[in-house]
Amino acid sequence: MKRQIKLGLLLSRSGSYSLISEACRSGALAAIARINGDQDMDLSFVPVERDPCGNIDAYGPLCEEILRDTGARHVVGCITSWSRKEVIPTVEKFGGTLWYAVPYEGFEASDHVVYTHACPNQHLLPLLDWVMPTHGRRAYLTGSNYIWGWEMNRLARERITAAGGEVTGERYLPIGSRDVGRMIEELRFARPDFILNSLIGPSSYEFMAAYRALGLEDPAFQPETCPVLSCNLTECELPALGQAAEGLVAAGPYFRGVSGWPGAGSFGSSHEAAAFSAVMELARLLAGREGAENWPLSQLLAGQGGIVDPDTHHTVLPVNIARVEDGAFRVLKRQEAVAGDPYLTRSRSAPTPVLRVVS
Amino acid sequence: MKRRTIRIPNLGGAQAIILHRPHPTVQALTRQLTAIGLQVTQAWPELGPEALAADYIFFDADMSHDGMFPWEVGQPPIPMIALIGSEAPGRIEWSLKAGSHAQLLKPVGDSGAYSALLIARDAFDAQKALSAEIADLRRRLEDRQTVVRAVTLLAARGKSDAEAYAQLRQMAMAWRISFEEAALRIVAAQGGPDDRSERG
Repeated sequence: MKRQIKLGLLLSRSGSYSLISEACRSGALAAIARINGDQDMDLSFVPVERDPCGNIDAYGPLCEEILRDTGARHVVGCITSWSRKEVIPTVEKFGGTLWYAVPYEGFEASDHVVYTHACPNQHLLPLLDWVMPTHGRRAYLTGSNYIWGWEMNRLARERITAAGGEVTGERYLPIGSRDVGRMIEELRFARPDFILNSLIGPSSYEFMAAYRALGLEDPAFQPETCPVLSCNLTECELPALGQAAEGLVAAGPYFRGVSGWPGAGSFGSSHEAAAFSAVMELARLLAGREGAENWPLSQLLAGQGGIVDPDTHHTVLPVNIARVEDGAFRVLKRQEAVAGDPYLTRSRSAPTPVLRVVS
Repeated sequence: MKRRTIRIPNLGGAQAIILHRPHPTVQALTRQLTAIGLQVTQAWPELGPEALAADYIFFDADMSHDGMFPWEVGQPPIPMIALIGSEAPGRIEWSLKAGSHAQLLKPVGDSGAYSALLIARDAFDAQKALSAEIADLRRRLEDRQTVVRAVTLLAARGKSDAEAYAQLRQMAMAWRISFEEAALRIVAAQGGPDDRSERG
């Protein structure tokens, strides 16, 4: 007889980042189906879904509803960092745990959150390490107007200037805005070596389409010359990007068809993979431990090993730098098993010294 | 004055000491600091000499007193963060006198340590830079009398005050020393009775 354990899913199925939500939801539901069908597992998950519809103010109350009214103690969900920060006080208040399966900007290690996707030492820093020697050190930074865009660009600026590079421009758009004209005009003049795109949803789709048009007009803006880089675009948003995705270079722990994802498996995108892993790891931690579903995260993790670092609650992931070619990501560079280092205090204590060619 | 850019300190392996009796607040704070990447030790009822080698001190603002720190009252050589439970004005006044650079309210929960570290480091650096600048300005103020005497000595050779002043500036540049130091040399060389001629 399997124990029935309620598992919250807090994902927006409409709104500007619903494609990512759907990818996470598929991953979580696939893992739930796997656990529920596994006769060797003494538990099954009962999903409890709440849909904030992309409304930031709905996350806190809906998360509270899951934790207070349904008895669930674990919630998989949140896409934006803004929504994650909104629900942390709630999971803390109810002694719950949020399993967060999306790349984010780091500088957080909540006692009530597990981070199963990449943080900057697993996406942004390797991406900059790849782009500066291959394309140059003059960057243009864009982002959505909230913590993800701000903090990614702050860190990028710090690393680029430390490497002797230059930031030629930095521009933000409100979430959902398609007003990319000014960025394109600035790019015409700034003529950078690469663009870091930390926009989300429709802003990003619009920007990529406008940048492709710019490249057709002026070869200085074609992907081979001046690529667009991203730490958050995956296969789940390629349908919305279409041709505009060609040449995009992204960093991610997994791309479709690439092996090496911890625990193996084949997924549509890294969002799906990270949500799948979150549910599978939760099941592993609960299996054979009656009542453990009500324990705080620290107690649940203590002495159990597994993918979650008990100090930081981040995971060890591969790093892939991949380029979109003919509608699919093709890996250009790969690093195995990089531990998440949210405060950048463990893996890279000092910026790499600037080396110049002397003649 | 334009705010200077914050320097994000390298916290990997930095040493933090929590001066607090054993308490869940110490556990919660230790968890946060360990997650950030610091090495944490707890001390009570006083800081030993090893505190001088630490990078950050978190201290209990409720129960601590002057005698617990191995340095002159209010002159901590490292950033200090007050752990405040009781917001009584007397205790806040005492933690300011003790030299706190930032604070964290008790009970300490899931967050707050990282911003306290950055704010304390920034306030400590700013305070240190300002103290150095003030000491330098004070010294130069004290040397003003010497400058006046040097200019008078140079002007005694038939120069106007303005010419003597310009000459002194040129000498300082040629000798690659400060204006005040050049004045001190002139006064000393001309045998003027200057009880500070051994300085500098």
